[in-house]
Amino acid sequence: MTGTFEPTIVGFLCNWCSYAGADKAGAAGMPYPPNLRTIRVMCTGRIDAQFVLKAFAEGADGVLILGCHPGDCHYKEQNYRALGRHRLLLRVLEQHGIERQRCRFDFVSAAEAAEFAAVVGEMTADIRQLGPVNLRAVGADAQ
Amino acid sequence: MRVGVYFCRCGPGLDGQVSGKIDPGAVRGAVESLPDVAYFEVVDFACADGGQARILEHLAAHRPDRVVIAACSPRQHEDTFRRVCAQAGINPYLMQLVNIREHVAWVIEDPERAVDKAIDQIRAGTARVLHQEPLEAAELDICPDALVIGAGPAGLKAAMTLAAAGRGVTLVERGPILGGLPVRFEEIFPTMECAPCLLEPVLGEILHGELPGPIDIRLTSTVTAIKGFLGNFDVTIATSPRHISVDACVGCGMCIEECPTSVPNALNLNRTTRKAVDFELFGGLPNVPVLDEAACTRFTEGSDCTACLDCCPVPGAVLFDEVATATEKKVGAIVVAIGATIYDLSQVTRLGYGRHPDIVSSWDVERLLAANGPTGGELLTADGRKPRTIAIVHCAGSLDADHVPYCSAICCQTAFKDAHLVESKAPGTQIVSFTRTVVAPGKEAVDLYRHAFDGPHAVERRYHHPGDVEVRVDAAGGLAVSHATGAGEPEVTEVDMVLLLAPMVAGPGPRELAGVLDVPTDATGFFAEHNARSDATRSPVRGIFIAGTCQSPMDIQGAMTQGTAAAGHALSELVAGRTLRVDPATATVAPDRCSGCRTCVPVCPYQAIDVDGWTLKASVNSVLCAGCGTCVAACPSGAIAGHHFTDDAMHAEIEAVLHA
Repeated sequence: MTGTFEPTIVGFLCNWCSYAGADKAGAAGMPYPPNLRTIRVMCTGRIDAQFVLKAFAEGADGVLILGCHPGDCHYKEQNYRALGRHRLLLRVLEQHGIERQRCRFDFVSAAEAAEFAAVVGEMTADIRQLGPVNLRAVGADAQ
Repeated sequence: MRVGVYFCRCGPGLDGQVSGKIDPGAVRGAVESLPDVAYFEVVDFACADGGQARILEHLAAHRPDRVVIAACSPRQHEDTFRRVCAQAGINPYLMQLVNIREHVAWVIEDPERAVDKAIDQIRAGTARVLHQEPLEAAELDICPDALVIGAGPAGLKAAMTLAAAGRGVTLVERGPILGGLPVRFEEIFPTMECAPCLLEPVLGEILHGELPGPIDIRLTSTVTAIKGFLGNFDVTIATSPRHISVDACVGCGMCIEECPTSVPNALNLNRTTRKAVDFELFGGLPNVPVLDEAACTRFTEGSDCTACLDCCPVPGAVLFDEVATATEKKVGAIVVAIGATIYDLSQVTRLGYGRHPDIVSSWDVERLLAANGPTGGELLTADGRKPRTIAIVHCAGSLDADHVPYCSAICCQTAFKDAHLVESKAPGTQIVSFTRTVVAPGKEAVDLYRHAFDGPHAVERRYHHPGDVEVRVDAAGGLAVSHATGAGEPEVTEVDMVLLLAPMVAGPGPRELAGVLDVPTDATGFFAEHNARSDATRSPVRGIFIAGTCQSPMDIQGAMTQGTAAAGHALSELVAGRTLRVDPATATVAPDRCSGCRTCVPVCPYQAIDVDGWTLKASVNSVLCAGCGTCVAACPSGAIAGHHFTDDAMHAEIEAVLHA
């Protein structure tokens, strides 16, 4: 089963660092799994928790949020805010049976083409292992 | 709605950078079947002149409501295709560029999977573009004039540069003279240049030159309020009375001679006195004394002394009745150059500062060695002796987690200069320098470093930890420096004088002014930069620039360079006669949904959001907003929309990228 499962991963990439890092992976011809679908935001600070929930609700098997490295944010420190939101969001996701590996936050700079490809590769492998999302109703644990 | 989709092969036929992996023929059917897609058009090189012309012609002929271009990265050509749309009479924000080259063709090895991904990404772009709205860049009238706060090296250079370009400049200085610290010093590193002489040409230009832009100099003044934003600031300037008219006074100094009241002169370490009416500094410009309300008996005791007025040869120069004023000015840009101070060495108790008059700071010694200082430039101890041995202690409080954690960059060179001055003014004096890590950067510093330790009377001793060096004062008033070397008992050196190199610190200035300007300071207390590497003279707030030591410790060269740089920013961002283009992809608040909770205010790094005190509704200043969208995501009421990255557009994109 896990051998044939091909997950779909939605990647929210910030314009200034991670999207540029992905561009660079392309320019350098560094292949990575075709499972990623990219969505550009100007900053990870724009990523509303609802975007992530929406992606899972619409059938994503994983959500990848990539921002600038700490201290490098084009908008000063909004990546920290995104990081804070992500931590809270993981708790909500886990309550719904969405494992934390399915929603990954990481930093990729505009120069880190290889890192970008590596993160996508790792995430794809992790989710292949996990298999499809198995949503459960909140409170199911109590029964 | 009719969406026109263009597919760029990035090359000819099936040999293009995109079409070599993604056959447009394999994409066409899926895209054409999407609701709202009017056509699917294939282009060879969309970004080339011929490609742009072809798209322009096609857009003009087919007039779609929305445009999707599947090509390369928006980081590369979003602006290009926005321009093409604008030329075709289509609002540029109704176009979405879908990246099927860098993110698909170049990174996916299996062509079938590449086609799948390209279709998904184009479908998402098409779904998104339906929610994009036409946006117009606002054009605002601007005031090209500038306010410069602080008349030290950085502020003077900024004012001069701006005025030379024809800009009106208001130069506000807290003190009564221009020039900042260097005019109070004598010689400066790295080449022992005369500091007042260095500033002379700049001061001459500003005071008496014929620069095309007028400079309104406000001495004994501070900025107390600022409203507005880039291009349109209203500033309030408070001026305290000098009681001597800068315009009328000829600087003859007769009033000083006749004044009956003397007070200790803090500038000269209280070792000399000054009159109640006196020059701030002999030779300071403008050459006009100040009547000190804290010293003059008319103000301290209510006396009826008129000695200065009676002897003054110029009518209207002495103004007893002058009062504090507040005036308003309109400016387009603000350069903050308020300087820094040095660390309060009495906090470093092991170094004894304040316990003995011959334990002096690097600033004190500037005055002790100055020709207009307390001893006329002769190096003497507080009781008038020529010192036989002087200790120079580096890093007095710096690189010390308990005091100033950073290296203040300029102290080592100041120490080398001081050593050189001692050697030349008091030859034969033994100089024992306690260094920790020597910082002598750049192409010129090393000469003075070598010179400082070359002489037969100079000794350099290294210490490693802040606590390794202590200054001891014995009961008889004798001074000694104790140096723990790590081997046995500390080495003790008896000295006549101790010079402590105090680190530069921000002092209260930036924090106080930060409250007025709404610009942030960082953990060190200095002003925070827009970007500390690439934009160190821009504050995070548009239109407010920072220059000199209020940004970070630096030398005079650095401060003057930053003053020029800050002026350059102001000149390029505000051009007289031109309007200010405001990018429309900013955040906006729907007042009826805003609860006034203020969640958005602290998340904005640009101070762009204000909550009205009366209506309790937030509003975003679109000039200051940089469009990051953090407030949009933070708003618990969904009251803030991010233009071009609206919730609707984002949700449509997420949904469509996942669903065939």
